[in-house]
Amino acid sequence: MSVSLEHYLVVSAVLFGIGLWIALAKRNAIIILMGIELMLNAVNLTLVAFNRFVTLADGRPALAGHVFVIFVITVAAAEAAVALALAVSVYRTRSTVDIEQIDLLKR
Amino acid sequence: MDGFGVTAAFWGLSALAVGSALGIMLARSLLHAVLWLILAFAGLAGLFVTLSADFVAVAQVLVYAGAVGVLVVFAIMLTPNSQTGNSETRMVGPGLFVASVVSGIMVYIATQTDWSTAARGDFPATALEIGTALTNRYLLPFEVASVLLIAAMVGAIVLVRAARDEPERRELAGEGEGEVNTAEAAGREVVAAGSHGGH
Amino acid sequence: MNPDYSLLIPEYILAVWAALVVAVDVMMPKLRRDVPAYLAALGALAAGIASVLYIDVNKGFEAIPGVTIMHVDDYTTYMRVLLCGIAVFILLMSAQFVRMRLSHAGEYSAIVLVATLGGMLMVEGTELITSWIALELLSFCFYTLVSFARRELRSNEAGLKYMLLGAFSTALFLYGLSLIYGVTGTTTYDGIAAALSNRGEDLTLALVVGFVFIIAGLGFKVAAVPFHMYTPDAYQGAPLPITAMLSTTSKAAAFALFFRLFTTAFLPAHEEWKWMIALIAAVTMMWGNLVALQQTNLRRLFAYSSIGQVGFMLIAVAAATQDAGSSLLFHMAGYAVTNLAAFTIIVVFFNREGSDEIADLAGLAERQPFLALAMVTALFSLAGMPLFAGFFTKFMLFVSGWDAGLEWLSGVAVVASLISLYYYLMVIRQMYVIAPRVPGRFRTPALLWGVIAVLVVGVFFLGIWPAPLLDAADTAAAFLFRA
Repeated sequence: MSVSLEHYLVVSAVLFGIGLWIALAKRNAIIILMGIELMLNAVNLTLVAFNRFVTLADGRPALAGHVFVIFVITVAAAEAAVALALAVSVYRTRSTVDIEQIDLLKR
Repeated sequence: MDGFGVTAAFWGLSALAVGSALGIMLARSLLHAVLWLILAFAGLAGLFVTLSADFVAVAQVLVYAGAVGVLVVFAIMLTPNSQTGNSETRMVGPGLFVASVVSGIMVYIATQTDWSTAARGDFPATALEIGTALTNRYLLPFEVASVLLIAAMVGAIVLVRAARDEPERRELAGEGEGEVNTAEAAGREVVAAGSHGGH
Repeated sequence: MNPDYSLLIPEYILAVWAALVVAVDVMMPKLRRDVPAYLAALGALAAGIASVLYIDVNKGFEAIPGVTIMHVDDYTTYMRVLLCGIAVFILLMSAQFVRMRLSHAGEYSAIVLVATLGGMLMVEGTELITSWIALELLSFCFYTLVSFARRELRSNEAGLKYMLLGAFSTALFLYGLSLIYGVTGTTTYDGIAAALSNRGEDLTLALVVGFVFIIAGLGFKVAAVPFHMYTPDAYQGAPLPITAMLSTTSKAAAFALFFRLFTTAFLPAHEEWKWMIALIAAVTMMWGNLVALQQTNLRRLFAYSSIGQVGFMLIAVAAATQDAGSSLLFHMAGYAVTNLAAFTIIVVFFNREGSDEIADLAGLAERQPFLALAMVTALFSLAGMPLFAGFFTKFMLFVSGWDAGLEWLSGVAVVASLISLYYYLMVIRQMYVIAPRVPGRFRTPALLWGVIAVLVVGVFFLGIWPAPLLDAADTAAAFLFRA
């Protein structure tokens, strides 16, 4: 049997789900960020898979998917940098990055 | 259409990516979780190669497996008191439910939709095309992305670096934080003076 | 043929000016710390004036022939001027606040300008990658700005939460975009619209799920229920002028993108997403206004009140007609003027008293009658009382929803609007009926007095003579529905 678009989409859906689970269930802000990165990676896989298999109306090969992924990778890296800077900054004052203990607001 | 090699690579790499992703969830130590994450990124890079996305795969290895991985390790090292374990909140059950539902819907759509696809057997190189696209068709978003990176960099530096200029009304500025810093600074001076006296 | 780069002059002004502000701040360390904000305000003003020159220009930015990734038309011009105007007022109210409470004054003002730049690009984009990267630019600026008060624990905490939820929403949004790309095979708005109008019946399910993800992602950015959890925390933790900016720039730009995307690209599939947005709108306006009733902190009150306003604005997106577009643009302007007035007042009070609790407003009418009176104006406008801006703009929104066949939604909106009157009146009662906790009158600084006066006059102007702005909004919205 050969590998088709559906196979990649299913893998991507499973990865997105695991990323979502990590982001929803974990305590540590850094691990939550890792879950989000995993979700973004699943999106990248979808985009690249569509880019390879879906044809344009005029028959040209699609390229937007690859460019989209390059931008997503750029933004994800910047996102990681800023989020980790924030986590370190919170840690300096609170000595924790546990999102359940960071609860000064609402009081 | 694809040879046995591609099919085998797809199954192997998918198992690697999904297994490593589960590893992040199940690992008991934070550092192990990061290693699983890097492995998942590497598996995805392999999947990109099977999709004929050579440039994206290289970028994936360099940026995700390399830069983001190292950055996350640094962050974990810099927050040592939180390093006790990779524990969950009480959302673990509901989270699993939501994630399964979302995944299930997506799997259903992926398999039920009749995508307008075309079989492509060859593996063209994409780096030249992407480079060309980034310098004409997507030049403007490319520039916006560079502005974004500068803004993110300035932001990250501002967040973690000591202030060059201080607010003018200290007594109102921070709620207690200011005093802690001053007290710390004073303490350090005392220590410094003490050690100086000792020598 | 090269694309027409002169279409983006206001953007260049903002980018260069932002760099200039940082440079001036770095080169002159002795500079008084409120100067960068005034300097940046001049830049925003210059960009706003440059934007006015584009009235009645109607031209696409063609990256390569036939591929339009941005569009400059009256819709763009209207939003550009609005966003620059908001930036000017935000920077003016920031100056004294920054001087007293924040470090890195130059970077602060520069990032405010860059956020405005991101908002303007969001309005213009007619291609998914371009619009999305502009949205990220705006979001990144806000991640930094919300946590700018590094010495206050709350600001850091709010920044971290806002950032994590923002990144999360980005992932959802992108998943939706990738599905749309899979269904249509293109990323330009007109290409998507063309592909959607002759799509196969079989793709509908994928399309609907794609819309769900996109609406969830954008719902986070505009703070619609059930994606609003970060809003009260971010509003309470952020430096006060940034709270004002979150409630104006961020919402205006996100709604401009929302409306353009859904009316130009997704309109052929209107039936598929109309009900989703209408449902979210109804839940958002009821929830926001009901929870606002219990708030004791002024910023959290405004957070929930703004969530309620988002519900009203979503009516226009659900309706997706030209009338809805013009009333959305009109409401945005009225809402921005009103909210800026309210927040300038809160900034003056906070600079003086260091408190943002509603209880501490007690007796404001005695201590500073001007502030109290201006606050009453702003609150009545938010509640939608006749004579004030909010009445007319809300009325137009509800009517446009009614005309588009969403009668039930307009009914819910009227009820929600009546509920909101209660908590606005509670604030007014606090200022006028309760005796002051701290005795002593105080003065409003001259500049901020002027800013508040201008904004209050604006609120009355829009309430009594709305025709000029309404005409402008109508012309602007017409551009989205030419085809």
